[in-house]
Amino acid sequence: MKNRKDKIAEAKRASGADSCVECGRCVAACPMAEMYENFSIEMSPRGIIKKTLVGDPVVEDRNIWYCTECNAGTDTCPQGVSCRDLIRKLREAAVDENILGNAKTCKCCGRAFVAIPVEDFVFARLKDEPPNVFGVLDICPPCRREIYLLRNA
Amino acid sequence: MAEQDFSLNLDDLRPRPAEKKRFSEYFMPRRHSFIIFHPDRCTGCGACEMICSTRNTEKVAPVSASVKVVRDEKEGKNFSILCQHCRKPLCLPACPTRAIEKGDDGIVRIDKLFCTECGLCTMACPAAAPIKDPGSQEIHKCDLCEGDPLCVKQCPENALTFTRGKAVRWIKGLRWTSQLMSFLLLVMVFIGTFCYFRTGNVNFACPTGTLQNIASSGTIVLVGVSSALALLILTVLAGRLFCGWVCPFGFVLDVVDKITPKKIGWPSFLKSRMTKYGVLAGAVGGSYALGFQVFCTVCPIGTLCRAYGVQSFFRSAELAIVPALASLEIGERRSWCRYFCPVGAVLGLTALLRMIKIVIGAKRCKKFSCIQCAEVCPVGIIDADKLREGLSPKIPMTECIMCMRCIDRCPYDAAKIRFRWQKATPGEVRI
Repeated sequence: MKNRKDKIAEAKRASGADSCVECGRCVAACPMAEMYENFSIEMSPRGIIKKTLVGDPVVEDRNIWYCTECNAGTDTCPQGVSCRDLIRKLREAAVDENILGNAKTCKCCGRAFVAIPVEDFVFARLKDEPPNVFGVLDICPPCRREIYLLRNA
Repeated sequence: MAEQDFSLNLDDLRPRPAEKKRFSEYFMPRRHSFIIFHPDRCTGCGACEMICSTRNTEKVAPVSASVKVVRDEKEGKNFSILCQHCRKPLCLPACPTRAIEKGDDGIVRIDKLFCTECGLCTMACPAAAPIKDPGSQEIHKCDLCEGDPLCVKQCPENALTFTRGKAVRWIKGLRWTSQLMSFLLLVMVFIGTFCYFRTGNVNFACPTGTLQNIASSGTIVLVGVSSALALLILTVLAGRLFCGWVCPFGFVLDVVDKITPKKIGWPSFLKSRMTKYGVLAGAVGGSYALGFQVFCTVCPIGTLCRAYGVQSFFRSAELAIVPALASLEIGERRSWCRYFCPVGAVLGLTALLRMIKIVIGAKRCKKFSCIQCAEVCPVGIIDADKLREGLSPKIPMTECIMCMRCIDRCPYDAAKIRFRWQKATPGEVRI
């Protein structure tokens, strides 16, 4: 069992966070700016990378759960830092330490499949839809496909 | 000085296109092409995945395809999950960068220029049709190959077919003709025929009127009962076909509905479908108490049938009930038939002995992506919420007026008439 320090070191290595030059291109490309009203340095990719490098406690930080794990920051980084991979590794570390309050688990298989702030955003965008749609959206995509198979085939 | 907001949102940079409706769409809905999947033909070979992946990447790699074949080895069931190009796509509002757009041809496309591959469309889709490529992390979603799908050509079992749906909705024409003909016949040619009609040995009578007659006179005339049975036997054989295809007042209501397309809706305390059975009981009981057919004096069908020609002033005044009840149309379609009509109540009770049923979701229904049947149903008995959940709704045949609008409208041939004892829908799978 690796401890947290090793995991963060592993996350830094896998994402190449050490070579970040803080240019802010990832922040410019990040869709979170459009998604959340309270988008700030606390949750922006640059902020998370900085926190990780400085050694702040990021694993229990709620701000790592706002990310959608998209490719925008990774694609645009001049240094090849993958903020997506960094967030993923940090989330994995958090799930390993049973900090599960921010991850939504599937009703069928019990797997953590989406971060709650991200799902809140999706639900807010779909607020005009009838409420029973959301029962389906509570299930993780692979399980949704399985249920679709059982219901229709 | 007031503080000004200088921030730019996506709405300022790329405004959503306004929903335009072509002039021709008011008469004929657009027919978009779509892929129909036949689960009973699919063997789960994955040829669709393979050919689809060659379009997304340079190699054959089923994981990077836009179609996902889900297999249930235990039950021997296979299903290929494709984007169904919903009429109101849920992925479209969920996309944070507004990369998803529904084109004029009905195809929902992901614009690769704006897509950040975040996967929120997969989160929002009830069938999870957009698929994230585990290798390149891109999102792949079916775009029907811009109108020439490769998977349809490659499927060895013809489990995927590419069609445009029905060209002619012939049931619609047939029903309107039948309604118009019966309106002219019942109202203008054979005056008063619906209530009681007799030529030689052939008798027809309104069953509700016959019930009231029995109650008021206290005697059962066998000829009257047997003549009333004609309509009831039709109902047993074919459901409440009379209400949808013959009833002259129903025809008036359908015409009024065409004039008032916008509905205001009724408060929920009015909306009890049991009310009509209460009206029926009241009519029969009232007839027994007062000694004459109470409801028949105000029956909209009867007054319509009796009104034509030279009549006394009293008869003409009776006719005022028709516009009064037809004005109920502004609330909901066929409000009178849904909640109050005692003739419909008798037929509804008879329909408990029905031989046929209408089923929706005979494996081919596209559920949440379409929901057109629930929109066109004039009596509103198709449960749109069930369809949105992905379940086949059960249609209460006591309420169904057999207008067959759902069968006519369904582009996927999923709404069908079946015998009562036939099993037509797969078992309900609850989450």
